[in-house]
This record gives sequence, C-alpha cells and structure tokens, in this order.
Amino acid sequence: MAAQLTLQAPLEIPPAEVSPYLERLWSSDLENSTGAATFTLLVWEPSWLEQQLVRIGRLDGPIRGLDRDDVVEAAREITASCGLPPSLAPMDPRLVWNLGQMHGNHVAADQRGQFVEGAISSHMPRRLITLAPTLAADLPLETIVAAYCPLPEEGSAGAACGDAIVLRGSLGALGQAEDLVRSLVHEELPCWVWWNSSLDEPKEILEAIAPPPRRLVIDSSLGQPARCLDVLVERIATGQSVNDLNWLRLRTWRESLAMVFDPPSRRDALQNVVQLDIDVEGDHPVKGLLLAAWLADRLGWHLLNTDWVAADGPGQGIAAEFQRTDGIAVRFRLMPVPIGTPKTHPGAIVGLRLISREESRTPLCVILCSESGGCMRLESGGMAAMELLEEVVPLPEEREEQELARLLGGGHDSTNPLLESAAPLAASLLPR
Amino acid sequence: MTSILTNPLRVGLRQERVIAPQCLVIFGASGDLTHRKLVPALFELFRQRRLPSEFSILGCARRPWSDEEFRQKMAEALASEVADHPAAWEQFSQGLFYEPVDLQQTEHVVRLGHRLEALDRLRATRGNRTFYLSVSPEFYGSGCRALAAAGLLADAERSRVVIEKPFGRDYGSAQSLNRVVQACAKESQVFRIDHYLGKETVQNILVLRFANTIFEPIWNRNYIANVQITAAETVGVEERAGYYESAGALRDMVQNHLTQILALTAMEPPGRFDPEAIRNEKAKVLQAARLANEEEAWKCCVRGQYGPGGTAAQPLPGYRQEPGVNPNSTTETYVAMKLFINNWRWQGVPFYLRTGKRLPKRISEVVLTFREAPVHLFDAAGGSPTPNQLILRIQPDEGAEIRFEVKAPGSGMRSRPVDMAFSYDDSFGEPSDEGYVRLLADAMLGDPTLFTRSDEVEAAWRLYTPLLELIEESPWQLPVQTYEARTWGPAAADNLLAEDDLLWRRP
Repeated sequence: MAAQLTLQAPLEIPPAEVSPYLERLWSSDLENSTGAATFTLLVWEPSWLEQQLVRIGRLDGPIRGLDRDDVVEAAREITASCGLPPSLAPMDPRLVWNLGQMHGNHVAADQRGQFVEGAISSHMPRRLITLAPTLAADLPLETIVAAYCPLPEEGSAGAACGDAIVLRGSLGALGQAEDLVRSLVHEELPCWVWWNSSLDEPKEILEAIAPPPRRLVIDSSLGQPARCLDVLVERIATGQSVNDLNWLRLRTWRESLAMVFDPPSRRDALQNVVQLDIDVEGDHPVKGLLLAAWLADRLGWHLLNTDWVAADGPGQGIAAEFQRTDGIAVRFRLMPVPIGTPKTHPGAIVGLRLISREESRTPLCVILCSESGGCMRLESGGMAAMELLEEVVPLPEEREEQELARLLGGGHDSTNPLLESAAPLAASLLPR
Repeated sequence: MTSILTNPLRVGLRQERVIAPQCLVIFGASGDLTHRKLVPALFELFRQRRLPSEFSILGCARRPWSDEEFRQKMAEALASEVADHPAAWEQFSQGLFYEPVDLQQTEHVVRLGHRLEALDRLRATRGNRTFYLSVSPEFYGSGCRALAAAGLLADAERSRVVIEKPFGRDYGSAQSLNRVVQACAKESQVFRIDHYLGKETVQNILVLRFANTIFEPIWNRNYIANVQITAAETVGVEERAGYYESAGALRDMVQNHLTQILALTAMEPPGRFDPEAIRNEKAKVLQAARLANEEEAWKCCVRGQYGPGGTAAQPLPGYRQEPGVNPNSTTETYVAMKLFINNWRWQGVPFYLRTGKRLPKRISEVVLTFREAPVHLFDAAGGSPTPNQLILRIQPDEGAEIRFEVKAPGSGMRSRPVDMAFSYDDSFGEPSDEGYVRLLADAMLGDPTLFTRSDEVEAAWRLYTPLLELIEESPWQLPVQTYEARTWGPAAADNLLAEDDLLWRRP
C-alpha cells in the first residue's frame, strides 16, 4: 500500500469556494504533481447506526464512518438489552430506527471522509467525495477539503496525488448540493459510487449521485427485501455497472457448491435436482434468493410459482416451484432460522440442501452449512436413504472497505453477467 | 452415463485475483508468440472478466502498422475464438493499440513514452505498465536499456518487464544479462518467464508437498531411493531447426523446464507462501545441486540424437534429415543425466533427468521411488516386491499415482503392486488455463512466484557448466548417440541407470 501524505490539514471552506479552491490548489501547491489518472470514489456515508449509538451514549466518538468492530459490538449489546429479537443483525436498518426512538443528546466530532481505509487508498483515488448526512435536521452544508499524495518511496517516480472532499449537512442540505457534486466528479475518469447505507433511503438521492455510467456499489442486505431487489434490478436494467456486496459475500457458497460438482461423475446429478432448501438468518431473504436464483439460472430452471409459507422462526418462509429443462418440477424452500449471534449483515446463509433423484441411482443429498450454523434441520427428513455429501462453508468476515477495494482494484464498466441474470430471477422469487 | 460438458456452477468463479488497470506493452508484436500465445491468453483473461475495463494492449514492432491493422491481424489470427465470441472480441479489441517502435532508436522510445501517457489518459490505466519482451534474445539487454533510458522503468511499483526464455546461453552470458537488466530495473520488476511453471500440475507439486502432512515426513533421503524426472516429446524439431541447432536439448529443456521441476521437487519448505520465500528455497536447492561426476561429466550424462524410424507406412526422418538441420549436426535431441543434491535432505539420493524428441510418448512426470521394505515377509507376484512409487504426472493425464503392494487375491500371502490414482480430469473435469494465461496474469498482478529470479537462473546455468564446457571443448568425450525415432533414447541412457541397478520407468 502506498502511504498517504496529507499535504495540508483538512480545511473547512464555504461550499461555493470548493471548486475555485481546488483549482488553485492544483495549479499552485500541487503544480509539480500529477493528479492520479485513476478514478473518483463518491461515497454516501450516513453511518446512521454509528451516529445513533453516539447520540444515545452507547459509543464514544469521533464518528468516522468506517466499518468498525466497536460499532458492531455496541449494536449487538443494545439489541440484547432493548429486547429486540436476537436474530436482528447489527446492520439491520430496523435497529437504527429503534435507536432513533431512544433519548440522548451526546455529541462527538464528525470525521467521516477524513480517514481512508488503507486498502482503498492504495488504489490512489484521484478524488474521494464523501457525502455525510447528519442526524440534525437543520445543519447547513459544510465542505471540507484536503489533498493527499503518496509518500515518495524508493524507486517510485513522481507523485500522483488526489484530493478528498467531505460534504456534510442535513439530508435537506445535501439534497441541495447536487450541482456541486456534479461539478466535482471528473467526467473523464471512471467514477464509483458507494451507497454505504440502506437502500430504503430516499431514492432521489441515489438517482442524483449515481447516474449511469457511474459504477454503483450497493448492499442488497440493507433495506426492505423488495426494495433491495427492485433497486438491483432497475439499476442493472439501465446498463450501469452494479456491484452488490451482498452478492460478493455469496462467493464462498457458490464456490463450495461448484466444488461439489467439479468431478464429472457428479455432473449428471445437477440435471436431476428435485429439491432445493436454503436456510437464512433472520427474516431477510435476499441473499438466499440470490443464491437460489444463481443456481436456477445456471441450471436453466424456469420459475412456475412462489408464495409465502409459515416458518418456525421469525418471519415467513418462501415456497416456490421451478421447472427443469426436461419439464420435471423442482421444489424450493427458503426458511428463516433464528440465530443467537447473527452475522453483521441481515440474511446470512445458514445452510443449503440440494436433493437430486435419478432413475436407477441412489438419490444424492448435498448439504452445505456455515460454520456458525448447524446442519441438523437440513439433515432431517429421510436423508438416511440417500447418498449424503456434507461440506462446511468457511465464511471469512471481510470488511466492507476490503470488498470495495477489491472492486476498485480491477473493476468493470458492466455488471457481472451472473448477477445480471440472477437478480431479476431473485426479484421474481420474492412473493409480492 | 453421460456427463454434461462443463460444470455450469463453475462458470464465472475465477474472479478472485483481478488485475489492476494497466497497459501491457508487447515488443515483438508482429511475431509468432504474440498471436499464437499472448493475445489469445489475454482474450481468455478478458472473457473470464479478469482484466479490468481500464486496460490496454500496445503492440510494438518495427512494422508500420496502424492500430486498426494490428486489430485486424489479431482478429485474423484468432479467427475461431473471434467467431465464437464476437461481442467479447469487439469490446476486447477496442483496447488493442499499435505503435511502430525500434527499441534501438532513441526517438522511437521517447515517442513510445508519449503514446503510453496518452493511453493512460484515454484508458485510465493509472500509469501501470507491463513491458513484455517477446523479441530475439540478443535484444533483451538493449531493450531493457532503452526502456530505462526513457524513464519507463523508473517507477518500481508501477512498471514491470517480462523476459522470455532463453535467459542467456551459459552461466557467463546469463550473469552478463542479469547485470544489464538489474542496472535498468529492480529485481522485483523483472519477470523471467518459464512457461512450464504456468502448468497447473507443476504448481501442484508445491501444494501436494506443502499443503499435506503425509508427504513431507518421508520426502527425504531416509525414505526416497531415487528420483526420475522425464519430459518426453513425440515430435521432432519441426520448424525450429534454426534455433534448435544452436541450443539442443540441454539448453532448450533441461536448463530451464526440467531444472525448475527439480527445484520444486527438492526444495525445502518455505516459511510462508511468499514469492521471495519460495524463490529463496528454489535458489538454495539449485545451488546445492551437482552433476554426479563433475570432473568426468561424460560418465554421468548421455547425449542422443534421433535417427530415422517409424514404420514403412509412416517413416520418420532422422534429425539430420530434417529441413534446416546440418546433415553433420552434433546437436543433441536427447539428454539423460544423473545429479546429486548435497544437502541434509537429499545427500546420496540420485536424481535422474531425461528429455528427448521423437520418443514413444509425450509425457512429463516426476517419479519418486521409495526405499524397499527392510524385510521381505511375503512372496511377490513379480519375484521381488516393487518399491513404492509416487508419480506426479505433469502432462498429459495430469494427476498423481501412488504405487504400493497389496495382497494378491487367492490363497497364500503373495503381494503384488497396485496403483492408487488421482486425476485432474476425474476430480475437476475442467481444462486448466493455458500456461501463458496464468503467467501473464501473474506478471500483471506483480506476483513473481512462478518466475525465475536472477540467482535461480545463474544457479541453473552453473549446474550444467561442466557439461556445456565438455561439449564445447572436447565433444568427442560426450558424443551424440543415435537412437531410432520413437524409441526411449540411446541404450547408453539405460546403462546410466543400470550401473545403479535401476531402470527408467516406462510410462
């Protein structure tokens, strides 16, 4: 990673002065430096959870907006002490809403946008723009600007520098800053927009800051399931490059399932699947639906019907029926499972069961489970008569910033074709 | 039972290591390697979505082509791939550019620098550049000098240079070339390519040895009696006579490919999976390797040359009858030799290397033969028990086999050998990427693990210096012995092992 050298202390200047100031900065202080020919990263960074935890005194400041362990820990503690369902993931927007009902007026310094995760800064963004809405509804727009250059390293020629701009204020104030944001985005360089928040937030803001061809990064685990899937599908339909962190977190599940069918001797089983069951944490089905949709798309299944069904745990399950290419039906069940210590994001996958029946062969049952969850529920129901294959799926907990850095490191101007195919099918799988 | 062709769930999962935005500059872009290997490998990476959108390929050669002509020529060369994936090619080819460059002309290199800056702006490639020297070996040094003089290698973080084989003709020339290259760029910027290291099964030697606990305790002189490394080809010299006449099997195969396999097979475990840690161990083991008899090298080495062979229906010409070959040529097309590695792990264990053209089978493998059981308790079906063997098959039928004794069915307690096999095809069923796909990706990722470091190259040349000197100074002591095409080499190669009461494995 190239260490970052701040050429100046972050400077608060009036919004109208930002563009002229940056022009002066690049023509005088940085005239001997090249602006990195890289990309602009525009981050919607409300950090509502962190702000609320600070406000009610459950977390010390400053507010930094990074994916921090202490924020998650504080969220877990308050979930237990407030009588909220233990299956509620720390990042679930409903927790933020509940915190918003609690009293408190603690304040802390707001340093969002002023700390850049090393994994991101190593890609030397030409411009990092952070939009930081505040809880206070009457805060006018504040703008903070700083310039950065990589620390000169031995053998490194020339400094390719970048700048960081923070726009902070109430939602209303930020809503008025659309023109300023547009003027700050280098149109000649790729621009990534990271919507680091719930997709339930005002659609207009998302549309304003992330028009195509800007590359959008969202997290479909944050927000109401229907809303998450709709945004995903709508955005993909525009031809924009859409990257879903929730989809990326499915990587180990897809890899583990693919590994099971790598030996050619097992490939036929894929053509004879009759049942697919997926268990997810809590009541957020999007990740499970994306996994089912990916599998259905890869195997050429056609969705016949879908509906809600009663579940043992929180919320409702989903029962659907697919039709294979040979006309045989495939039964699909997605069930919410109560979990004592849920993963950080809502709807993490607990287990997957796939049953394949082929004439004149013993049925094959494949069960994949996460390390945290047991497979016992999926093991029940007549598995004894089947050939059983069980694998534990390792689930590395990567920070959001690292996932984002992976995208920035070698991104695309189009959506991953697998996600492009899976997202509309996942949206159709969700009963409306 | 019929199996569907590929694993549909595997599609699109090879996206872990994504290459950073950059420009790949290919010198020698009008040459064979560019359209046969490099551009197809890059197109494959593109189709696997492993190349970012901010990527460009700048072909450079003396011919005065335009960008469009270069695109057209590449499209013609990759006609079948283009026909299969027209939309992908359309997108990929937009990143293909061409600049007429003679690296010996200063103004050309300066112009190249300006073109690269323009491409950085056009394609947002962030100033990252990989220079691929696919040029004649005599231009490796001057090519690096020209790039360095134009400041194109100044940024050690963002510029790399890939150099094709052969890296030198002997120890002295490899040292000289290393000195030139290292004066132009840091070692971390230099990627010396050996396409054998791009093979999945060669890399698997590392995984098999160091990801399992069952092999390493017995991977030493206490348990292993000898090691055979074979790289056999069925083809003759084909169209490469011009190069091959001056190289021969020793330079063409042994000094690089077989020696790399030897290093991976014999190296100590690295402390961590880190390019330098691995290359340190490879260099150390090569520095400890010696010909079995350095003073009288003819006693531990056999050179051969294929003569006519084949059948009446399909006669095969001998090497000296091949087009472009000197009718009195003494170039070897076959080499077999015996080495030792003087360290604690391998002291006294012979390593036998052989390679040849026009042998009966195309096969590359490593065979580790274990010591015999100390006491023979059982009658063996074959007279005496067969020693255990671990066979690492590099190509074809990639995989591994363990040979061990079991009880032969029936009354009595007779033993007989059986094979327990692992096959890449049976377990994974997917074709591996071509070696250049892996190596190009690694070079652009800046991962030098599968590239040879300067000290490795020099150690490899030093190992064979006694032989090269012998061939140069008194070739009559190590004459080429003719073997019939499509046989396993000259009889002297069998004698080399017979002296140790051993046989070459007939794969």
